[in-house]
Amino acid sequence: MNTCLKTTPLHQWHLAAGANMADFGGYDMPLWYGTGVKNEHLAVLKSAGVFDTSHMACITVDGSDAFFLLNYCFTRDLTSLKQGRCVYGAFLDEKGHCLDDAIVYKFSDTSYMVCVNAGMGKTIAEHLEDHKKQKNADIIDLSGKIAKMDVQGVNAARILSKVIQSPDKVFDHMPYFSFKGHFDAGHAGAETVKCNDGTPVLLSRSGYTGEFGFEIFLAPQAIVALWKDVLAAGDDYGITACGLGARDSLRAGACLPLSHQDIGHYKFMNHPWDFALPYTADKTGFTKDFLGADALVPEENDVYVFPFAGESLRKVAAGENTGVFENEQRIGHVLTCATDMGITWHNSRIVSIATPNLPENIKIKGIACGFVMVTKHLEPGTQLTLKEGKRSINVTIVKDIRPDRTARKKLSHFI
Amino acid sequence: MKEINDLNLPEDVKYTKDHEWAKSEEGIVTIGINDYAQDQLGEIVFVELPEVGDTFSAEDEFGSVESVKAVSELYMPISGEVAAVNENLEDAPELVNEDCYQGGWIIKVKPSDNAEMNALMDKAAYLEMLKG
Repeated sequence: MNTCLKTTPLHQWHLAAGANMADFGGYDMPLWYGTGVKNEHLAVLKSAGVFDTSHMACITVDGSDAFFLLNYCFTRDLTSLKQGRCVYGAFLDEKGHCLDDAIVYKFSDTSYMVCVNAGMGKTIAEHLEDHKKQKNADIIDLSGKIAKMDVQGVNAARILSKVIQSPDKVFDHMPYFSFKGHFDAGHAGAETVKCNDGTPVLLSRSGYTGEFGFEIFLAPQAIVALWKDVLAAGDDYGITACGLGARDSLRAGACLPLSHQDIGHYKFMNHPWDFALPYTADKTGFTKDFLGADALVPEENDVYVFPFAGESLRKVAAGENTGVFENEQRIGHVLTCATDMGITWHNSRIVSIATPNLPENIKIKGIACGFVMVTKHLEPGTQLTLKEGKRSINVTIVKDIRPDRTARKKLSHFI
Repeated sequence: MKEINDLNLPEDVKYTKDHEWAKSEEGIVTIGINDYAQDQLGEIVFVELPEVGDTFSAEDEFGSVESVKAVSELYMPISGEVAAVNENLEDAPELVNEDCYQGGWIIKVKPSDNAEMNALMDKAAYLEMLKG
């Protein structure tokens, strides 16, 4: 292990579990455990998985101008964001390039929290400071001070019910992208969600897998106990610890971007994540002014990002050296290519292990999927070839990848 | 992941810098990837095999193994003609992880130059290389 890498409080647990470790965002993180990426990926789609996401960073923004500062720097319109709700969006620079994607949580009109990617706490906190000017807003980078774990999969609520106090109350009315509780015992609302041992947590109905589940924010000294409790409580459901490998293949199949790989180095437009921008209903403009908005205009050399699905599970390496070809002409390169082992082609449709009424003998073989960056607009159904050296695969541009995802379903469905 | 001292590295095969193994028996050389390679790659979901009859020079790419996250090329330890490929790997690619020196063998080759086997590393030399 590279001794310069940072570690999360679960580091020893990962090593003792025999995880294959690697550097991610400056942290020594588990890529997979003995279970393997394929089984970890499938466990989330069939039942539940738990992820150590303590390498991510939180920033609090408090003050009478907290709303104005965030609403200017963040791509989503926070005007209608209610207390106890959170929203996904991005921080752009003046060129309209994405500095990082993030989720913003509203505690009150004067108190917000931003959850950004691994190692990005300092950068985004400084970015907010740079744009604060005379505004009344205290920005605090909580990197390393908050631990996080994600529980994802259809049994997530059933399992968490066994490890938190008053689960019936907690899970009563918790829509997608809402949250309850707080990780700081002194904060209002910290009584709302507590582990059985009394540890307060912030429980958010969100996650990066596209499946039903939660993110749990808590004090670093409490996460090892909760992690073990969740695994024990989930044992009957076949829960497994999942590494970053399964996290990546699940998010690719869920058509979600990886910051600094699928977004960041181009104007934040012409991509599958329009919902992250504050478009008006007719999409002719934005509902608010924000940093980077002026740059988001069509220009001659614009690039376009589209999701694709391959013919089989066979993939290519992502990167500038992997060309995207339409009828022998190179039109771009591959941003992400991973295998979603929970899906397969069936009668020209993609189905998943979660798709209802599948034929009995169907074999779910996995499909390579991800995103391409190209120089022109492409319609779904367009056939392309991805080539890297002697290796090539045929793919199709699609509107979406893994079907029948469970993230948005009503919680009552899963209790 | 395994510690170097926990790796399964048989004495009776030769090793390459690309973490493959090669074993000569009655004029035929069997080739696969070693325990270090399969541990690093993780669960293999696809093995791309050459055709029987294909000929390659030493260090030519002859196929690849794919895990969920990555593709890893396979390189010929020696020159020769492919005499057999392990067809079990089509339905059970995970054999490469479970039994890399026996059931997970990848190809068998008729060598064109028997001296090339001598250029490969024995277990001690390979361990030296791993320990860096």
